[in-house]
Amino acid sequence: MTIKSVDCQTVSKTFYDAVIVGSGVAGAIVAKQLSEQGKNVLILEAGTSRDLTLAGFQSYVETFYGAIAKHANSPYPLNLNALSPTDGLNSYFEEKGPMPLSGSYTRVTGGTTMHWQGTTLRMLPDDFKLRSKYGQGLDWPIEYTDLMPYYRKAEYEIGVSGNTKEQKELDIPFLPGYVFPMKELPPSYLDEQIREKIDGTTFDLDKETIKLKLSSFPQGRNSVPNPDYALYHGDVFVPSGVTSENPLEYGERCQGNASCVPICPVQAKYDARRTLGTIAFPDRVHLLSQAVASRVEIDPENGRVTAIHYKHYKDKNSPQYTIGTAKGRLFVLAANAIENAKLMLASELLSTSGLIGNNMMDHPFILTWALMPQVIGTMRGPLVTSGIGTFRKGKFRKQQSAFGIAIENSGWGWSGTGATDVLRDAVNRNRYGKDLRQELIDRISRQLLLAFMCELPADYSNRVTIDPQYKDRLGNYRPVIHFNISDYCKKTMADARKVSREIFKRLKAEDYTHYKNSDPAYFEYEGEGYWYRGGNHFSGTHVMGTSKHNSVVNKNLRSWDYENLYLVGSGSMPSIGTANTTLTIAALSFLASEQMLKDLNT
Amino acid sequence: MKSDRLKLITTIEDLRYYLIQGMKIEHATIPPYLTALYSLKPGSNLEAFHMIRPIVVEEMLHLTLAANVFNAVGGNIEGVFTNPEFVPRYPTKLPTGEEEFLVNVGKFSKQAVKTFLNIERSKEVTQDEPLVGSRVKEEFLLSIFGYDPTKSFSSIRLFYAEVIRGLYALHKEMGDALFCGDPQKQISREYYYNGAGDIIKVTDFDSAIRALTLIQEQGEGSRTEAIYDAEKKLCHYYRFEQLELGQYYVVDKNEPLNSDKPHCPTGKTFTVDWDAVYPVKENAKLNDYPKGSELYTAAQDFQKAYSKFLEEIEDSFNGNPEKLVLAVGGMFRLRDLANSLIRNPIPGMDGVNGAPIYRLD
Amino acid sequence: MDIDTPEFMEYFLDFSVAVTGFSRFDLQGTGQVSLYFSTIRGIIGDQIFGELLQTFHDLDRKAKRENNQSVLTDGISFEILVSGKLGPIARNIIKLWYTAIWYQLPSPWQEKFGARQNDITFIVSPYAYPEGLLWPAIGVNPPGAKAPGYGTWSEPPSVKLS
Repeated sequence: MTIKSVDCQTVSKTFYDAVIVGSGVAGAIVAKQLSEQGKNVLILEAGTSRDLTLAGFQSYVETFYGAIAKHANSPYPLNLNALSPTDGLNSYFEEKGPMPLSGSYTRVTGGTTMHWQGTTLRMLPDDFKLRSKYGQGLDWPIEYTDLMPYYRKAEYEIGVSGNTKEQKELDIPFLPGYVFPMKELPPSYLDEQIREKIDGTTFDLDKETIKLKLSSFPQGRNSVPNPDYALYHGDVFVPSGVTSENPLEYGERCQGNASCVPICPVQAKYDARRTLGTIAFPDRVHLLSQAVASRVEIDPENGRVTAIHYKHYKDKNSPQYTIGTAKGRLFVLAANAIENAKLMLASELLSTSGLIGNNMMDHPFILTWALMPQVIGTMRGPLVTSGIGTFRKGKFRKQQSAFGIAIENSGWGWSGTGATDVLRDAVNRNRYGKDLRQELIDRISRQLLLAFMCELPADYSNRVTIDPQYKDRLGNYRPVIHFNISDYCKKTMADARKVSREIFKRLKAEDYTHYKNSDPAYFEYEGEGYWYRGGNHFSGTHVMGTSKHNSVVNKNLRSWDYENLYLVGSGSMPSIGTANTTLTIAALSFLASEQMLKDLNT
Repeated sequence: MKSDRLKLITTIEDLRYYLIQGMKIEHATIPPYLTALYSLKPGSNLEAFHMIRPIVVEEMLHLTLAANVFNAVGGNIEGVFTNPEFVPRYPTKLPTGEEEFLVNVGKFSKQAVKTFLNIERSKEVTQDEPLVGSRVKEEFLLSIFGYDPTKSFSSIRLFYAEVIRGLYALHKEMGDALFCGDPQKQISREYYYNGAGDIIKVTDFDSAIRALTLIQEQGEGSRTEAIYDAEKKLCHYYRFEQLELGQYYVVDKNEPLNSDKPHCPTGKTFTVDWDAVYPVKENAKLNDYPKGSELYTAAQDFQKAYSKFLEEIEDSFNGNPEKLVLAVGGMFRLRDLANSLIRNPIPGMDGVNGAPIYRLD
Repeated sequence: MDIDTPEFMEYFLDFSVAVTGFSRFDLQGTGQVSLYFSTIRGIIGDQIFGELLQTFHDLDRKAKRENNQSVLTDGISFEILVSGKLGPIARNIIKLWYTAIWYQLPSPWQEKFGARQNDITFIVSPYAYPEGLLWPAIGVNPPGAKAPGYGTWSEPPSVKLS
């Protein structure tokens, strides 16, 4: 049983308790929480929803198989009516520079969790006090401890595998006795090779000695349920799996398909369709897909939101659309940081703080790559199983940003030289037969890539805006992006490169890292050249804060200017530390849902 | 091995013997299901793929549950899975003693689905007809004949009914001393899950009954006239019937009684493409392949890998539960080998492709 | 030249074995043999495809007759791979087997031997992608298919350098 797909006519005749824009992780959790308390909700989804059926999901897998470039959105068919930005491959983002934001999100049912990697790190307590402790970016109006219970709910909903003991070593507090629902995924062979040589060694960063230590990545991917979770939860966690309209009888452990991004073919990775598919009262949740929200309607009399206007298209290959409105008591924008801001700007919503669209953040990644001295069997297992978290915290954050290191199991693909490129190069040099096979092992199976995810604190001038010049096929605004990387972050990128040199030396790995100056994301810092890659962790565009003058939403994610409007998602986050944003988005969605229910019940 | 006619359970040895037969029954279904599954051409017959695959996984669950009960009553599992006779010679009768149908290992086909339905079939048990004779009468017969030649079980359900009856009787007689096995050998839920049914650690009478009931119900339903089991999941029999009828059943998890009635699905229809299947050799034997050919070697490799898989399963049931996860991973390697086999034509056999072999003769 | 005969299919398999370094069983195990044959034929036509296969077959026969493997290996290098006409086709066939992608032929080839209508870069079929030989060559599964099972990534790699 899944939620009810409805048409425009049903929507126009229904007055909902809540209208939610977006069916990603935030919208799905809000829909689940509200409907379970008896509320009737509507989800407007800009993209298509055929993936709620088995054949629909399989067609994504097929599209992926058939795609020559297997990029983050390759399973999801091109939809000109609701374009998904894809690392600059289409012109959805209007990038005004000076540096590119790049990156991608996915506009289909389930949102960007359809292609996310599944990393579910919690933010560190210090991350919530970036301004007061380190004089950078913004503080949150709440603390880590306020979010703790919601992190636990999020970890249950997503089904997190991980090791709390390792996370505690980073000074992340957990409820006594609490463990993640499932045990950590086994580390890769590569991880162990690195651990052997690296664990316990040190690196000096801004006069601070940091000890390098590998730890597993908590992730939204099925592994072995942890029996100790029963002590907290009352019962052992039962992982769920395939989402489908028709009954399917199994949930899978991660099988090592090695394609977490862009699609897990066995659905061992969480995506938001799973939340939609496990709603206890599916009749209370209506889904209208192919409906792009275009305007938030305000009653000028009382300043309340009265409706969401949307453009509904029948065929994604045609620009024909009809206009509809969705009415209700409460409105929730859960379309992601960029789309939320864009929609509010397009609706000319009142903004006392003037901060809608500003403070846009992301996690720029510095990549470094090398060949290990021995064959390590690159390209096996989930894309990342371990990393080094010890640079996520430290006094150095006053001078330069924190960063996390991921050990990529998938080789050099992200740097631009994938396995297929190596093959083509070898064949073009007339390698064939057994020699060819040996060369491939030599050049691929020793590949190591380290990804350094750097914090980029909120900066007023990094922003998404709109401009009538830049619209999409349906006449909706395309995001206009102004983005730059501060020296605070560049200093760390340069140091990350130094850390990688040190690690490669200790591993006796041959360093192949090279940053071409023709790359759009190329920059120089203290005489050396680098480029970065976008992290897809767009956030900060409608930050939460302590007053209507310093923020767009309050600590419950309710708009300061419109009392029946909630803005959920990473747009509400004043800082994102060195944690991938999805888990915190999920936690905030649980938190906000509680307040929504209070509002609806008064 | 004793004949496949089974005497009734009167001693703990009988019970263990039955449970070994139970594991053989559960296992015997795996080669035919797997081969049919492998024979589907990639990208075709999604419905069939997604119906058969979880059933294989659940048969593995049943195997594990039966092993848990066996270990709980102090059975020695060493040599059970590694016995060459553990894998039947196909075509085979199921070792319930049932004689009405043979199980072949072959491609996915209408005939194969019929066989699968037979395997999972539910046999109605009327309330007034005793499943087996009274204990006194049985003992009388057994004391005379040693075996009861009139007993065979016309469904797996009835077979387990006798196991359950035997367990009741022995527990009455021996009390908790019946559960003399090493609890360390129990496979617990963290090592085996698949959404469809939980592994049950067997340490006492109640857990043993729950484990056996789960095996019974998942196959054939919790009650007559219901298509679902105790967990409100569609039973194997009706899942296969969907393939025969080309239509999904609807199980109403909130109001189970509103679910579809047997043989009358009302869900979405779909088309089974019976031709999008590789023409695999039925009941293949090693000597179906030319000696010295790559096909021969590959078939041999598959069989070896399958034996190793069974060895690892046995090892994990014998006090090394953490090894089960990787042992099941062995099934993934088997799949790749099998896929290569079934796409290779057998030289000299027109239009017939290779097939995995599960035992050596 | 008519290459629609069982012999040419055999030559194609033999050629493919020689240039990919995989066995006949492996190649047939992909289930793609006839699809690849017809795809190549459909793009470049019988004449040049036939010439490639015939050239290979003659070398193969000669090598066997003289019991000298280097006749074949030298022949593949100097008569096929460096040939302006056959080299690009041969390399494309290797890439096809390894990645299921047909790459558009280089423009010098097109200029000299004529552009072909269907000669664009494409994946021959979605279900050919998981059958690419690149993945078994490096001991991994194709990303997104043929998963090796939970936890197998902790084991030592199955491939090595000789």
